[in-house]
Amino acid sequence: MSFKVNDMAYAYSANNAIKEKGEYGGVVTTIMKYLLEESIVDGVLAVEEGWDLYDAVPTIITDSKDLIKSAGSLHCGTLNLAKILVKYLNGARDMKLAISCKPCDAMAIRELIRKRKIIEDNIILIGVNCGGTMPPIDTIKMIKNVYKMDPNRIVKEEIVKGNLVMTSDEGIEKGIKIDYLEEENLGGRRENCRRCNLKIPLNADLALGNWGVIGDIKGKATFIEICSKKGADIFNKVVDAGFVISQEPSKKGIEIRSKIVNTMLKQSSKQKEKDFKGTTGDILDVLKIYKEELSKCMKCYGCREACPLCYCEDCCLETEGPEWVPGGYTPAAPFFHLTRMVHMADACINCGQCSEVCPSEIPVSKIWATVNEKIRETFQYYSGINNGDIPLPFSEYEDSGSRTIKDKSK
Amino acid sequence: MVEIKFVPTICPYCGTGCGLNLVVKDGKVCGVEPWKRNPVNSGKLCPKGNFSWEFINREDRLTKPLIRENGELREASWDEALDKVAKKLNEVKNEDPNKIGFYACARSPNENIYITQKFARVACNTHNVDHCARICHGPTVAGLATCFGSGAMTNGFDSIEESDYIIVIGANSMEAHPLFGRKLIKAKKNGGKIVVIDPRYTPTAKIADKYLEFKTGTDVALLNGMMKIILDEGLEDKEFIENRTKNFEEFKKVVEKYDLETVSEITEADKDLIKEIAIEYAKADKGAIVYSLGITEHSHGADNVMSTANMAMLTGNLGREGTGVNPLRGQNNVQGACDMGALPTDYPGYRKVNDSETTSWMNEYWGVEMSCEPGLTLIEMMNAAHDGDLKVLYIHGEDPVLSDADITHTKEAINNLEMLIVQDLFLTDTAQLADVVLPAAGWGEQDGTFTNGERRVQRVRRAQDPPGEAKLDWKIMEEIAIRMGPDAHPEQFHYQTAQDIWEELREVAPSMAGITSDRLDRPEGCHWPCYSEKYECGPLMYREKFSHPDGLGRFQAIEHLGPVEVPDEEFPLLLTTTRILFHYHAATTRRCKTLDREVKTGYIEISEDDAKELNIIDKEIVRASSRRGTIDIAARVTKDIKPGIVNIPMHFSECAANMLTNSESLDPKSKMIELKACAIKVEKIKE
Repeated sequence: MSFKVNDMAYAYSANNAIKEKGEYGGVVTTIMKYLLEESIVDGVLAVEEGWDLYDAVPTIITDSKDLIKSAGSLHCGTLNLAKILVKYLNGARDMKLAISCKPCDAMAIRELIRKRKIIEDNIILIGVNCGGTMPPIDTIKMIKNVYKMDPNRIVKEEIVKGNLVMTSDEGIEKGIKIDYLEEENLGGRRENCRRCNLKIPLNADLALGNWGVIGDIKGKATFIEICSKKGADIFNKVVDAGFVISQEPSKKGIEIRSKIVNTMLKQSSKQKEKDFKGTTGDILDVLKIYKEELSKCMKCYGCREACPLCYCEDCCLETEGPEWVPGGYTPAAPFFHLTRMVHMADACINCGQCSEVCPSEIPVSKIWATVNEKIRETFQYYSGINNGDIPLPFSEYEDSGSRTIKDKSK
Repeated sequence: MVEIKFVPTICPYCGTGCGLNLVVKDGKVCGVEPWKRNPVNSGKLCPKGNFSWEFINREDRLTKPLIRENGELREASWDEALDKVAKKLNEVKNEDPNKIGFYACARSPNENIYITQKFARVACNTHNVDHCARICHGPTVAGLATCFGSGAMTNGFDSIEESDYIIVIGANSMEAHPLFGRKLIKAKKNGGKIVVIDPRYTPTAKIADKYLEFKTGTDVALLNGMMKIILDEGLEDKEFIENRTKNFEEFKKVVEKYDLETVSEITEADKDLIKEIAIEYAKADKGAIVYSLGITEHSHGADNVMSTANMAMLTGNLGREGTGVNPLRGQNNVQGACDMGALPTDYPGYRKVNDSETTSWMNEYWGVEMSCEPGLTLIEMMNAAHDGDLKVLYIHGEDPVLSDADITHTKEAINNLEMLIVQDLFLTDTAQLADVVLPAAGWGEQDGTFTNGERRVQRVRRAQDPPGEAKLDWKIMEEIAIRMGPDAHPEQFHYQTAQDIWEELREVAPSMAGITSDRLDRPEGCHWPCYSEKYECGPLMYREKFSHPDGLGRFQAIEHLGPVEVPDEEFPLLLTTTRILFHYHAATTRRCKTLDREVKTGYIEISEDDAKELNIIDKEIVRASSRRGTIDIAARVTKDIKPGIVNIPMHFSECAANMLTNSESLDPKSKMIELKACAIKVEKIKE
């Protein structure tokens, strides 16, 4: 059969070695292998395990033999690959890349494509589901202090039915309710992940994950959803070439998958309510409400450096004339954040990088998400999602002329 | 296809020792990305860390040796430069080895520093080796060793997050150690109270629950006053004093003299606040003291340090998480530079030169014959040069012309040398005066280890090749030893890797014997003391006993002395010198374009009252002078400094604070000079 956009399937690798190391049938790794071996891409941008499973390191793989390094998932892989792509790889202007991405990687990449900083034709987005990632050091501390387990001996962490389950190399399993961990501030997912509302990266070319894989292939196969024409084309090729074996997903499986997602989205909505309470979401209101937090800003520029959507080579935060934010004074003037907000709050995709690098513990991501939510309400622009012709609120106007263009991607 | 590599390493600036990833693109460092797996900072950085990479591939890196000829520096081959150095070292060594001196580089990895001190001792037969800790935390090393038996931070950085009450005195963590500042913020979020005691209302003071303003250089009086209050209120920890300390009575006798009235007169601090803080600290379950150069950089620096130790002992705030005496070390590896024995009195691991048994052991280990007579300290070397008693000074990566007190004096001393050798990355103010300049590999170009302020030894990694002909420091030293001939024991300087040097250190320094390569590979690194491979080492010291042989802490009876030079009619203002968030000490940061753009030059902070009196407005260029020199500098008029006190950040050579500071002010206990207090005047420049 031939797959097309919106089709779903179960799939697993035909390669036994990959099937072993890669999780849930190793389909991501196998697709990457195909793309490299057929020279469809020059390289694969992915994340590999650095020192241990708490240390996620971005890598570019050009030899399919090395792909095995990036197989498996890292729940402490909190980085955003869009930043690497735009900052160090010239937005794929002069190379073709396949990128394994969680939803927020794909969102940032989509935004950057809209802003012409990444060349869409040169990239293939292989998306993976994500229920949230966890900050490495806090997670290590949590495993020690709350789980009373040795972080060096953990081989697997996953969320099963609302429990965060840790498994040690001796096979000891311990699960604690993730809601409890997060509410009691003992650990859990990053603060931004808790309010994230894209769990399946439908904005990538293909979206893969284990949710909805049931029955005797549970744990051995991946659920795959075709999200674009490009994605369909690739999936058809890997199946036809015999790299990946596919089968029809069960109806119940599809139901369970959407149930899992809906439960998570409901939690995210609750979190948002909590996070955005007491503010109108207007920029000035938010600036006022978070004045005290922002007053600790030591002007490290970390949020700008980490933000995948801050791409300017020369930044107006550093210009001497006009002087937006005077140099050398700390805390940085409120204008520092106001400037960034005006420049990119419409594009903010709640990836959390800014909060994660903030030395002053300012909830930067929450502040930006608050404003972005308001922008979303006002302009119906859903940043990071491939939402066709809706203009970028701060950069474009609607085309009010009479021309119509067919969307060729569909 | 482009090649991208992430190389995890440690920031080259302050002693917090934050981890970061250097991004290497096609063999060249091109950025910094967070290393979230590092336990010190979880990937968070301050501006210096974020832009630290920017100096690495600058155009003005030294790429060839330079030799002075007819008054000018010209390029030379390595052979020519090294021959020249070796010949001179031999010549002076034959005359008197103690006419040679070495400055080790506290920003360089432990392995380089180990070789520098070994080269001084083994190749040149002198103990004249020291480094900038002398004018930074020398008083900490001397003062805390006197009180506790070991001269380092007593707790780890994370410990602060658990404190109930934190006194930050003479430390501006939010600017000078920002990622330690983060721990203060976290402590506050956990319900802890923060008190900042400082003559300046610093960004750190701004996040504190209480701020106590006082006069620069009156720390001993202030702390004695607080301790008298604690005693008067009966809030001392009698059990701790009885079981874990000695010398209490003698101490008590001195402290009793410091009644609140007298203290507030000396310190010009608010009486009620002094009392409140003393009582709250004593009552806190977990009270911590944090200090930095505001305590140490005085002619009575060691006294200041010991007063903080007295406070902690008096209240039993030691040996537990959330307590302690927490000096924040300056340079990224100044802790390591002390640990490696770049001290005229100590071999690696703080084994004493003047102990004949130790020196015999070292003599046998290295196959040499060194004396038990300690060498000269940093300032003493410079003074000896000034007096013509030191002929060769070999400086590794330090810039004393900018960083030592009284630049005119330093330059005179250097001009009096027969040969100045500078090994560095850039043609610094000091290198410009050198006879031979040797281009060295820098941060990001070599493997090794840094030791941060909480005694955590962490790996630094080579990310790219050094530019041009620049070489690894320890290889340069081997080349010189070979050229000096068999008497310099060249075989003692032959290593394959930096790790080989570390392995030798483990044999020499018992307190680091257990720090194996495997332990260092982990992102957590390893804390010393670590006596064996099985030894469980962590940041908390003195859980049950102190490091003195009898295990007891020692109270010190300390009288207030105050600054050597005090304001008078001619020089009515008291100058203090500081660091700012965006620059670091002798300012490699000025070669990072983003940081340079942020703050391009220096300024003098002056209170609104003083400015008004002198008819000076903000940003006006004014003339500042002391008995030593004069500079022209922009005024920064501010509410955030105590009237009568002015402040100059020390990084900027074109308006250098150290043109004004006083070099005739040695602390007898630590040989520190008074970098943070001297009398100056500020004047309007007449057209």
